[in-house]
Order: sequence, then C-alpha cells, then structure tokens
Amino acid sequence: MKKIAFLSISFIILGVLLFAYRMYNKPHTNVEQSNATEIISAEQLFDKFDKNEDSAMNQFSEQIIVVTGTLFAKDFSNELEPQMILKTDNESGFIRCGFKPSQLQNLEQLKDSSIIKVKGICKGINGDDELTLLEDKDVTLSSSIIIE
Amino acid sequence: MKKTTFVFTALLSLFAFINHSGGIYKTNTGNISFYSHTPVEDIRALNHKVKTAFSSESGQLQFSCLIKDFEFKKALMQEHFNESYMESTTFPKATFDGFIASVSAIDFNKDGTYTSEVKGKLTIKDVSKEVSTTATFVVSGGVVNAKATFNVNPYDYNVKIPKMIAPKISESIEITVDSDYTHKH
Repeated sequence: MKKIAFLSISFIILGVLLFAYRMYNKPHTNVEQSNATEIISAEQLFDKFDKNEDSAMNQFSEQIIVVTGTLFAKDFSNELEPQMILKTDNESGFIRCGFKPSQLQNLEQLKDSSIIKVKGICKGINGDDELTLLEDKDVTLSSSIIIE
Repeated sequence: MKKTTFVFTALLSLFAFINHSGGIYKTNTGNISFYSHTPVEDIRALNHKVKTAFSSESGQLQFSCLIKDFEFKKALMQEHFNESYMESTTFPKATFDGFIASVSAIDFNKDGTYTSEVKGKLTIKDVSKEVSTTATFVVSGGVVNAKATFNVNPYDYNVKIPKMIAPKISESIEITVDSDYTHKH
C-alpha cells in the first residue's frame, strides 16, 4: 500500500515538474504556422489605433493579423530587425513591420509602392503627441512574414 | 549687379551651412535593452523599434518605445513581463523627454567621439522620474550613434513583482540605449 502511495506521489511530482519545465521553455508564437485572427488594410488598422488606442489595443494587441497595404519604404538601418513601412491615409501614420534577419533576402526583392500582404504580431501604436520631435506614429508588427 | 550676386550667393551658402549644421536627427529603429542580474537569474530583453530624435540646436532629446516590442529569449518571461509586471496593454509606452547638456560642444559636421550628460524625465507606467547619465556620441559620415546606460529601480515605477519572483529580479535594472541617428531637417 505504501509502495503504491509512494509511486503515485512520485508520478504526480514528475508530472508537475515536466509541466513546469515545458511551460518555462515554451517556444515563441510561430507566426507562419498560426492562423490570423484579423485580415485588415493598413489604412483601417492605423485608423482604429489613431481614433481609440485603448479599444484597438484590446482588439489587436498580441494578435496575429494580416495587413494589406502599399509599401512606402524598406528600412534596413537596424540589422537586428529589418523593417518595412506601409502607407496609411494619414501622412504622419504608418504600419511598421519588423522581420527576423533571416527574412532580409525576401524583403530586398520587394519594390516600393507595391501592394503587399504582411502577417505578424500586432504590438500597438508608437509615438506620443506630447513628444514634439516625434510627430509621426507607427502601428508596429513583430515577427512578420511576407505572405503575398 | 556683381555685388548683388555676391551677397545673394553668400546668403545662400550661409543658409545651407546653418541648415546642415543644425536641425533634427532621428531614427525609428533605435535599440533599447534592459538587463537584470541576480544570483538566481539573468534577464535580458531587446527592443529594435525605438522612435527617437534630438535637436542639434536646442539639445532636446526624446524617445518613445512600445513595452510589447521588447523581446525576451523565453516566451514565458515575455508573457509575465507584459501581463503581470508592466501591464503593457494599459500602459503601452515608455517615453523619455530630456536634453543633451553639452550639445553645443558636439560638432555634428565633424567625425569624432563626444560625451555629454543627458538629463530628463523617464516615464514608465505613467510614473515620471528624473534620470541622468553620461552619453557617448560618435559622429561618423553624417550618422550619429548615441549610446547611454542608466539604472532604474522597477519599484520606483510602480512595477509590481510578486514576492515569490522578487529574488529573480534586480532592484537596479540596467537600461542601455543605442541608436544611429540621421539628419532629417
């Protein structure tokens, strides 16, 4: 009887430890293999954040989304995270998509002003009206991939 | 006629010089990293989408970054950092608004390394505190690299860390800002 109790407790402890280990080492979200929760245009996405940041944060933040838009510029100034900027209806508003450095070759082939579809994790809107030197705003996406 | 042309050319050259030597330097791809060291665990996170700019005339320096743009090696750490400690859906940004104390001593038209004290207001979770540090400015081929490190105590910014986790998180978190600025206007 004692042996059964000992074995049961050992199995439970082992199970808990295994669960904790797997949780601690769980991988980051794989954007490529995950389904997007929203498909939205760059203009609509920026507009939602610009009009009501709190509501947009609740709807989009940390969600995998697909954004369609016109490529405004490629920004490879930070080699640790190459970025692409999509136009919106707002002259001072952009969608800034961050990519893994391994994606650089795919990005280099894209031409400015082409229509592209980007899948990534939406993070929020960066920029602050009170900071006068930082007049423009970016809705940012991380771990992005080009899907079209 | 010759005199008028000379004056006009001189004024134009002066304007071009002033326009190039002064103005705003900016980047949207600045880096901020933070590092917490304790005997139990070292934690590091990086953000490569920092929006930052400074005026080479007034010395005003600002940055803004999204808390959710910090990337950790471990996904679970990133999740806890955002959801439990930084509450980054409610407080999405960290900002800095300050100035380069000795901006007039930096020649942004001449390659070289300069240092200056940087002072200002760091706002995290809607709590603003004055911070200051010495920054290094490296001017090279029109690009200005600015690097500065300073330490903050998370409890000063209302970051709530559960008692069980507290030994894993330093009370003096090292923040490093490293950005390459280019002249905008």
